[in-house]
Amino acid sequence: MNRRMWNAFFVFGTGLAVAVCGVGLLMLIALIAWYGLGAVSLNFLLTASRNFGAEGGIFYQIVGSLLLIVGAALICFPLALGTAIFKSEYLTSGKMQRLCAVLVYGLNGVPSIVFGIFGLVFFVHVLDVGISWFLGSIILAMMILPTVVLASFQAMNSIPIIYRESAYALGLNKWQVIVRVLIPQSIGGAVTGLLLGLARAVGETAPIMFVATAFSGVTIPGSLFEPVTALPTHILALAQQATDPQALQNGWGASLVLICLVMMLGSFGLISRLRLKRAR
Amino acid sequence: MLLSAKIGKAYVVTCAMVSAMIIVVILAFLVANSWQAFSQVGWSLLGWVWNPPKGQFGILPMVYGSFAVTVIALGIALPLGIATAVFTSEMLSATMRIYVKSFLELLAGIPSIVYGLMGVAFLSVFVQDVFDLQSGRTILTGGILLSVMVLPTVITLCDDAMHHIPMTYREAARGLGLYKYEVVKDVVLPAAKMDILGAVLLALGRVLGETMAVMLVIGSIDRMPVPFWNVLVPGQTLTSKLGREMAEAAFGSLHFEAMIAMGLILLFFVLVLTVVSLTYFYNPEGRLYE
Repeated sequence: MNRRMWNAFFVFGTGLAVAVCGVGLLMLIALIAWYGLGAVSLNFLLTASRNFGAEGGIFYQIVGSLLLIVGAALICFPLALGTAIFKSEYLTSGKMQRLCAVLVYGLNGVPSIVFGIFGLVFFVHVLDVGISWFLGSIILAMMILPTVVLASFQAMNSIPIIYRESAYALGLNKWQVIVRVLIPQSIGGAVTGLLLGLARAVGETAPIMFVATAFSGVTIPGSLFEPVTALPTHILALAQQATDPQALQNGWGASLVLICLVMMLGSFGLISRLRLKRAR
Repeated sequence: MLLSAKIGKAYVVTCAMVSAMIIVVILAFLVANSWQAFSQVGWSLLGWVWNPPKGQFGILPMVYGSFAVTVIALGIALPLGIATAVFTSEMLSATMRIYVKSFLELLAGIPSIVYGLMGVAFLSVFVQDVFDLQSGRTILTGGILLSVMVLPTVITLCDDAMHHIPMTYREAARGLGLYKYEVVKDVVLPAAKMDILGAVLLALGRVLGETMAVMLVIGSIDRMPVPFWNVLVPGQTLTSKLGREMAEAAFGSLHFEAMIAMGLILLFFVLVLTVVSLTYFYNPEGRLYE
């Protein structure tokens, strides 16, 4: 085979791979949209589920999912911002930087099911607080912490050095520089990271299925220590009764709503990331 | 120092300590709660039979299942993904590339449970019909589903890796009269090798740790296939086992501890991957993908 033939072969092979990927992935989206749109209606969004999810809507599941991620955001954000400030301003030795990177990336790599069993062991069995949505928020906050820390840290790192120097030249001490310069300049990056983290958290099933959610008969929780139902765990329950066409249809509806939630959070995140890039 | 500065520093240090301790605490609790399993069951953990009522806790079928789905998933996703990334990075116009990348970003964000539902509703039926099986819930189904899940991440990371290579490299190669194929093979791929390897490791970690989608389509039978390359039978992975059975085991029992031991082994694999990729592929400006 000569060079020209190899090149033609290469172009053909690449094209084939692209065709396979393109058709497969487009079909995926098309299937979800097709079946999902067939199931979603205003009524579906606003009524409670009945008969183990096979009938009725997903109102309380949506509320539960939103509650979980709002809780996770409130727990995660102050913690992540503090950690990022520490990493950026107080941690100077290279060795400690590396250790910090290992811990943060290590946490990021922990599989979601391991968070789930950790939550089960620590909160439900050792602390014995029972199943509650607040625990789910804590677990999700732990899970997205690395993403938010890293995004905030990168935002702080990219602040021009002259900002800091000017602030110090005005006689501000370290903490004043952090509050007056560092946080205002990096908060956008931190929020971006938070939104991207939440986009991931809202779709997670494994971390919350042992500690935070009950399957049926749950409405809006009255306190921190009551279970909720959430969209991902609802889809799981419906997928397990997939032989029932009605349950499957509701599963598609719930999936589409969940994907829309993920997309909304993700695109807010992407938009704010693009805006930050342009501003800089 | 002013009081506010002191409080501020204390707050920041506390946050950092808490964040750093999370992974240590997770590890400590998993070790503490699987200790009985390691001390009482010991090497019998490395057995082929899982039967808690009889006191048999062999985890090898699950380890094998995880290994098998990983090999299948990466075996499909890597060639397809890298070839597609060559296309998006080297042949696509800049504007089209943005659209394709956004589409991939969207796909990468689809929650795994939705993939699981797709697997139950379509893929397992498809596998059942194609191979004429009694049940379409097999190791192969899990592997294929995982390959679809991880494909967008593989494409977009490999595309980034190749796109970061300066244009002048390609121009010089083209100037020497090389064909596109030779530019890619001899210039772009070698230069992007490390980043592509990093992407592979990341994909590997994701596939190993994925739970919900696999759990729904793999069939959940803790048996080693006979012969071992027969992937058209139901199986079990470490993650699907945990997802299915964790809630059934009584806290403190040997069964429970053996399950936690499996979680610990899984975590160990993934942490080794993380440390390896940090050591060889550390990129301080890098983005975190799940």
